[in-house]
Amino acid sequence: MSDLDRAIAQLRACRPIPEPQVRELCYRARELLIEESNVVTVDAPVTICGDIHGQFHDLMELFRVAGDVPDTSYLFMGDFVDRGFYSLESFLLLLCLKVRYPDRVTLIRGNHESRQITTVYGFYDECVRKYGSANVWRYCCEVFDYLALGALVLGASTEVPENRIQQSNYDTQTTLPDIEGEIECEVLDANGEVREKILRRQFNLAPAQTSRIGPAPDRDPNEPSSPITSSIPPSQSSPSQPQPQTGSLFKPPPTTTGALLCVHGGLSPLISHLNAIRLLDRKQEVPHEGAMCDLLWSDPDDIEGWGLSPRGAGFLFGADIVRKFNHQNDLSMICRAHQLVMEGYKEMFEKQIVTVWSAPNYCYRCGNVAAVMEVGEDGSNGGSVRRVAGGEGRREMVGAEPGMGSRNVVGDGQTNGQQVNGGGGGGGASAEGSGAVVWNLATPGRRYRVFEAAPQGTRGMPAKKPVERQDVTVRKLSAFRADEYRSDVTCEMLGLSAAQRAVLKVLLLWLASATCIDSSRCGLYRAESDAALSAGTVEDADV
Amino acid sequence: MSALQRSFAKAHLQNLPAPPDVFDEAEEDAVNEEHLPLSKNGSSSSASSTGTITASAEQNLFERPSVRRPTLQYEPLPWQNFFEQELFLKGDIIRSHAYFTPPATAGAPLFCFHHGAGASGLSFALLTSALKVVLPEAGFLSPDCRGHGLTTTTTSGLDLRLETLAADLAFVVNATSTKFAWPKLPPIVLLGHSLGGAVVTEVAERKLLANSVLGYGVLDVVEGSAIDALQSMEQYLSARPKSFASITSGIEWHVRSRTLKNTSSARVSVPPLLVQEGTDNAASFTWRTDLSATKPFWENWFTGLSSKFLSVPGAGKLLILAGTDRLDKELMIGQMQGKYQLQVFPEAGHFVHEDQPEKTAMIVADFFRRNDRSTLVLPPKVDDLIKQGKLKPANQAK
Repeated sequence: MSDLDRAIAQLRACRPIPEPQVRELCYRARELLIEESNVVTVDAPVTICGDIHGQFHDLMELFRVAGDVPDTSYLFMGDFVDRGFYSLESFLLLLCLKVRYPDRVTLIRGNHESRQITTVYGFYDECVRKYGSANVWRYCCEVFDYLALGALVLGASTEVPENRIQQSNYDTQTTLPDIEGEIECEVLDANGEVREKILRRQFNLAPAQTSRIGPAPDRDPNEPSSPITSSIPPSQSSPSQPQPQTGSLFKPPPTTTGALLCVHGGLSPLISHLNAIRLLDRKQEVPHEGAMCDLLWSDPDDIEGWGLSPRGAGFLFGADIVRKFNHQNDLSMICRAHQLVMEGYKEMFEKQIVTVWSAPNYCYRCGNVAAVMEVGEDGSNGGSVRRVAGGEGRREMVGAEPGMGSRNVVGDGQTNGQQVNGGGGGGGASAEGSGAVVWNLATPGRRYRVFEAAPQGTRGMPAKKPVERQDVTVRKLSAFRADEYRSDVTCEMLGLSAAQRAVLKVLLLWLASATCIDSSRCGLYRAESDAALSAGTVEDADV
Repeated sequence: MSALQRSFAKAHLQNLPAPPDVFDEAEEDAVNEEHLPLSKNGSSSSASSTGTITASAEQNLFERPSVRRPTLQYEPLPWQNFFEQELFLKGDIIRSHAYFTPPATAGAPLFCFHHGAGASGLSFALLTSALKVVLPEAGFLSPDCRGHGLTTTTTSGLDLRLETLAADLAFVVNATSTKFAWPKLPPIVLLGHSLGGAVVTEVAERKLLANSVLGYGVLDVVEGSAIDALQSMEQYLSARPKSFASITSGIEWHVRSRTLKNTSSARVSVPPLLVQEGTDNAASFTWRTDLSATKPFWENWFTGLSSKFLSVPGAGKLLILAGTDRLDKELMIGQMQGKYQLQVFPEAGHFVHEDQPEKTAMIVADFFRRNDRSTLVLPPKVDDLIKQGKLKPANQAK
């Protein structure tokens, strides 16, 4: 068992790891995070989570409900620390998992991942209380500076992802009557029971376009629309574009959708393209104003255009801003956290933006439920995911048939790109024309898993031991078996006798069980590290 | 610098009047005198040049500060250092007293304060001078609440209901406006401490000052914790001294008991709290406001404060707390939904604005700037641009 796995097991039991280990962990995390772009690319399928706020036991509940790492790929949208009682354990566990499974865990920065905020809202005090010095807080804050600012989920499907988590009493079909039509969104409770299914809206399209599964409309066709939007019937929306290329080899997969942008807060008036985020220098404390601050602080609101946020940092932005941004960046949806929503998730602006909140009964007193959001993988493409997303300059009228598909194949895309450039002059023209967006990309199929707070103890505090000790022991023993296999090989190489091997095995088994016993006691780092040390010397002796 | 220049400057400097006795410097001097009994002509100059302190003949480095010299440390400071004028505004039954600095220009904001129970309008003195540095044009109005300071009423009974206090505050603002013949009310930022927080929230919620209120700030009061604290209030009141021998000792008590952590602020805000009894020979200073007499109103002040605070539309909301954040459930939800601005000053005591006037001023000035409607420039709306013909709709663009 590696040090990292040991640290993960220890943190899963909600016990902090010793300071030197934290230091090494943070160092390795920084090495990993510095390689990431400001906007990390993540492939679907992925489970997207919102604020955690140090509610360790609820994080464990989240893993129970939505699947454990590495079986499920996770994206956490910041605010791991502060307010809850276990900020340290929560953040270190997520960091350990990130280092252990770099491509299964994505962490992006929230507004609480900052020195200034953590000194006030609890993380600093917690570190000092648990370690007697602020060193660990300092290591963590250095990691905060390296966290990415956003993530782009690519290759999501318009179909609701396959439910891979089989609960013991999982029986979905009986709870709701069968419904006709394409399901866009599914809401499950913590036991995997389907609470709600939402159908994708169908649109009356010209026959040539009905084969495409409805790209979500930018505006409700029923609502009184401005003369500009109503003047563009979808079938002739782009006079400069060629007729749908029926002869093209490429058939767009019917489940292709745009990318999802995940960011902690929201949009910034200084950022109209994803590339503007990529250009930021993120390795710094969260500033008081500017694009980086806005990404972490802003909120969507029912206003038109931009407004100043009552939070004292960031902005409020309205539906028109989101619609335009999604259109310009080929996004199908923006996914963000930052705001407490009592139902765990909240879709706004015709599903153009969703708030996901993953801290149930926030601060142990708000009485809200939490949710995570799953998006599925678009398998129809043979697993290939287009990497061009986020406005690389090529623009088409969204909703126009040839433009939609052409991006999926390189060869076709090139020709199409030339045509568009010839006709519209690339990105400039699209920005100019963005006032009259009619079609945006389809929202992905998604599943929300709603869950409540982990069981609480008598005093309203979370129960002390969320992970059964049995579980830890089993993990340790299985890890031991792997060790045993390895030692067998070594013994063979060394040509040890059977008796010698037996002695070694007994020794190893004794050590493994010794660590189990030690770890069941609270706070005995030394015994454990002693055991680890002696295990190390035995291995050394082997070789 | 040439010798000529030097002598020239020296001659001029001698002619200048002595530097004004700024309060914090004076305090610093007093402290230095007490703890570092170095002679004036001693080693201070050599310390700055060489970094070593040499003992001179008339110095006794290891002498303990002998008998406590009567220092200026706790001397009261006059209100004139902080406000330009005081107003007496006559109402139906009330004669309100307020400290006032008018706004310098027509569009400049007016910061309107309301102190907490048992305090006075001078509680905001230091905050005012700190704000003046950041926003030189702003005006400040800090009235004494009914039953406090120099405000008097003609009725006998004590009426400290929240509605009455809110009406009083609105009256003071409107009467000031009438007195100075303002064409209309300037943009107003309300700021209340403790009880005052409840009052300004009430004023904002009932729109007593119409649309002039840009925003309101509440200093260190939260409904949940305030109601909890009422239990121990009486105990606190019985534990504090009934009277003081002098104003100075009153100031000293406030500082030594850590009620106020900022001596400079205590020197200006404590004197109006005390009233002299007896003749000059056997004078004793007692509390001007009998806080335990206000007990019947305590619950009325704070009940429903959180929901009121969150409910006012169209005005900025600021909450500054001391110590740790002790938000109740309603404010916690509101904060995480981004409905108001929260600032926590871990080092400050209950009198946040007195303990940390500069820091509070920075936050409040920033709060004003964000909510200032006159300078708010938002990016143009796309629809407006199209209407003005500056932007072509997509279908017309090539």
